[in-house]
Amino acid sequence: MRSRDGNNDFSLRLCSIIIFNSLALHASEYLISYKYIIEDIMLYNETLLISEAMTKCRGKPYDELVFSKSDSKDLKKIISENSEEFIDFIHKLGLHLEHKETTINLKNSSTTTLVLKTTCFKVDFNDNFVKIAPLK
Amino acid sequence: MRYSALLALLLSVSSLFASERDATTVEQTNVELKKVRAEAAQIREELAQAKAQKEEAFASIKAEEELLKKNSSMHISVVGQGVAPMNTSSPAQAYALAKRAAIADAYRSIAEKVKGVRIDGQDTIKNMMIQKSTVRTYVQAMVKNANIVETTFKEGLCEVEMEIMISHSDFAQ
Repeated sequence: MRSRDGNNDFSLRLCSIIIFNSLALHASEYLISYKYIIEDIMLYNETLLISEAMTKCRGKPYDELVFSKSDSKDLKKIISENSEEFIDFIHKLGLHLEHKETTINLKNSSTTTLVLKTTCFKVDFNDNFVKIAPLK
Repeated sequence: MRYSALLALLLSVSSLFASERDATTVEQTNVELKKVRAEAAQIREELAQAKAQKEEAFASIKAEEELLKKNSSMHISVVGQGVAPMNTSSPAQAYALAKRAAIADAYRSIAEKVKGVRIDGQDTIKNMMIQKSTVRTYVQAMVKNANIVETTFKEGLCEVEMEIMISHSDFAQ
C-alpha cells in the first residue's frame, strides 16, 4: 500500500511542468520579405510582407533584434510600431540589389530595386520584450 | 720603253685612286655601322623602359590583389542622393522617403565599386546623322553590413554617406 506522500515527487514534477509551460516563451516562426523600388532617385514602391510560417523552418537563429516594452503578440503590430528600427535591421542582414539605368539621347532614367528574399524568422514573445532572429 | 714607263705611271695612279676609294667606302660603312649601333642601343633602352613600366604595373596590380589575400579589410565610402516625392503629407514623410531613396543610391554606388557595371551602348546613324543614342547600364549585387555614417537633408535633397568594410573572407563564403 502506498503512503500518502508517495505521489509527492510526481505531483511536484507535474506542477513544475505546468508552471514552466505557462511561463515559457511563446516562440513561433514567421516568413518575412521586403522590397522597395526607387525610380529616378525617388521612392516608387515599398512592400513588407509578414506571414506566419505554415511549416517548420530549418536553420539556426543568428543576429537577433530585440524590441523591448512590447506586450502585444501580434508581430505585424510590433513591427509597424518599430518599423524604422526593423528596416535598418533588414538592411544589415543584406539586400539583393538590381540597378538599371538607361540614357536615350542624353535623357537619363534609372530604376533601383532592393529585395530581401523571403526569409524565415524565429520570433520569441515575452512579457517585456520580443526577440526576432533570422534563421540560417 | 717610253710607253712602258707611261703605262706603269697610269697603273700606279689608278691603283692610288682605287685605294683612296676603298678607304672612303670603309669610312662610310663605319659611320653607318655606328649609326645602326646607336639606334639599336636606343631601341634596347626603350624596350628596357617599357619592360620596367610593365613590371611596375604588374607589381601594383599584385599589391592590390594581395590587399584582399592577406585578410586585411578594405574600406569603401560612398555618398547616395535621394529626393522626396512631390505629394508628401508632411516634411517628416518627405525626409523618410528621401532617405530611403538615398540609401538605395548609396547601395548602388557600393555595388558599382565592388562588382563593376555592365554597359551596353547603341547608336543609330542614318544619312550620316545620328538618329538615336542609347546607353544602358546594369548592376546586380548583394550588399550587407553597410553602415550609414552621416545623413543630411537640405532643400528636398537627402544625402547619405555610407561605408562598408570588405575582406577576403566575405567573398570566400
